[in-house]
Amino acid sequence: MTPRMILVAALALAPLLASAEPASVVRATELKKEPASDAAKVADLAENAKVDALERNGGWVRVKTAAGAEGWVKLLTLRYLPTAGGPMRAGDSGIAQALNVARTGTSGTQVTTGVRGLDEEQITHAQPNPAELKKLQGYAETKQASGSFAESGKLKAHAVEYPK
Amino acid sequence: MKRLAVLLTVFFSGTACAQFNLDRFNVNKLLDTARNVAKATSDIGEPEEIQIGNDLAARLLGAARLVPDEGMQRYVNLVGRWLASQTERPDLPWRFGVLDAPQVNAFAVPGGTVFITRGLLERLHSESELAGVLAHEISHVLRKHHLKAIQKGAQTALAGQALSEVVKTSRPEVRDKLIGLGTETYARGLDKSDEYEADRLGIVIAARAGYDAYGLPAVLQTLAAMNAQDSALAMMFKTHPAPGDRLAALAEKMQPTLDAYAAQPQLAERFLAELKKAR
Repeated sequence: MTPRMILVAALALAPLLASAEPASVVRATELKKEPASDAAKVADLAENAKVDALERNGGWVRVKTAAGAEGWVKLLTLRYLPTAGGPMRAGDSGIAQALNVARTGTSGTQVTTGVRGLDEEQITHAQPNPAELKKLQGYAETKQASGSFAESGKLKAHAVEYPK
Repeated sequence: MKRLAVLLTVFFSGTACAQFNLDRFNVNKLLDTARNVAKATSDIGEPEEIQIGNDLAARLLGAARLVPDEGMQRYVNLVGRWLASQTERPDLPWRFGVLDAPQVNAFAVPGGTVFITRGLLERLHSESELAGVLAHEISHVLRKHHLKAIQKGAQTALAGQALSEVVKTSRPEVRDKLIGLGTETYARGLDKSDEYEADRLGIVIAARAGYDAYGLPAVLQTLAAMNAQDSALAMMFKTHPAPGDRLAALAEKMQPTLDAYAAQPQLAERFLAELKKAR
């Protein structure tokens, strides 16, 4: 398998990798048949009940309970749980790992495990890089271009008040 | 009257008093100091804010370069520029950059620059999640959170010189000191209250721009699900409240807004296609 193939596979798998996260409910809640408050109840979930989070639809997440029941709960009543396992190094999980592997392969350089770049030490001692700043400025987009981009994504702007 | 009060404060402080007695010539300096203290508490202008931002952005880019991929950079700029256009500061020179670093993080720089790391971008699932992250950072710029932190540090470190004056100075050692204060805010983090505020405003800005408002909460769940031992998370976890606390705060204050705009587009397909294309 070439690094490029790994990459394509990793990207194709991205939604799947994200789709079975262990989670628990922060308070007792109803498991709903549909992603809506007025939907029929499938089961009652006790506080701290463990579930597998499968997919998100707006503010609702489809979950599977330990007993095998499936239904929807509100995203904010869920807390995704940290993956079990020993200490990990940066980028050791999921798609990021596949991409890092691929990058190592294509660059042809030996990339060791160390995380460089953006830790506290590096930021504190960084020297300015004016050439990269210039590139950053070159990538900027205009308000007009972003408007057409929004339109092509069917994004409609409207007024929403800030909270008090 | 306000100036008089400041002047009196300076006058009666020990060192100032001694100086005054020793050297009459220093009266002018005293007056200047008093004036500067008063000025330091007022807002600095937008051109100076942008200048500080450029200095800080160049510094951060010295720690990590941009991902050398114009397509990816332009895509993130289009999302960010569209979000920024829905705010009270639509005409800042908004710039968005993907930093080539495996760490999971994002940064706001005064004057309209926002960075997201490759490590965070690769863990997102949709454009609305990206919008949630960028809108959170845009909110830091809008409310001048970093600028205020720098200003606070400057009042003691730069002996009460007005920040607006310091920015204009050509003296490299003073300038370096200021940028040092700025980079420190990135290593140390902002007040937690600033982070909670940026979460709330970020959700509103994403909703205004027509995105599914749950993008940011979904990212917070992703962060909660990551292994806390992963060193890619170390700095982000150190400088932000825990993801679970942020979700709880949003549940308390933002549930109605979130639900009113939950059905807007997530644009997962466009996001994944753009990321794939970029490689």
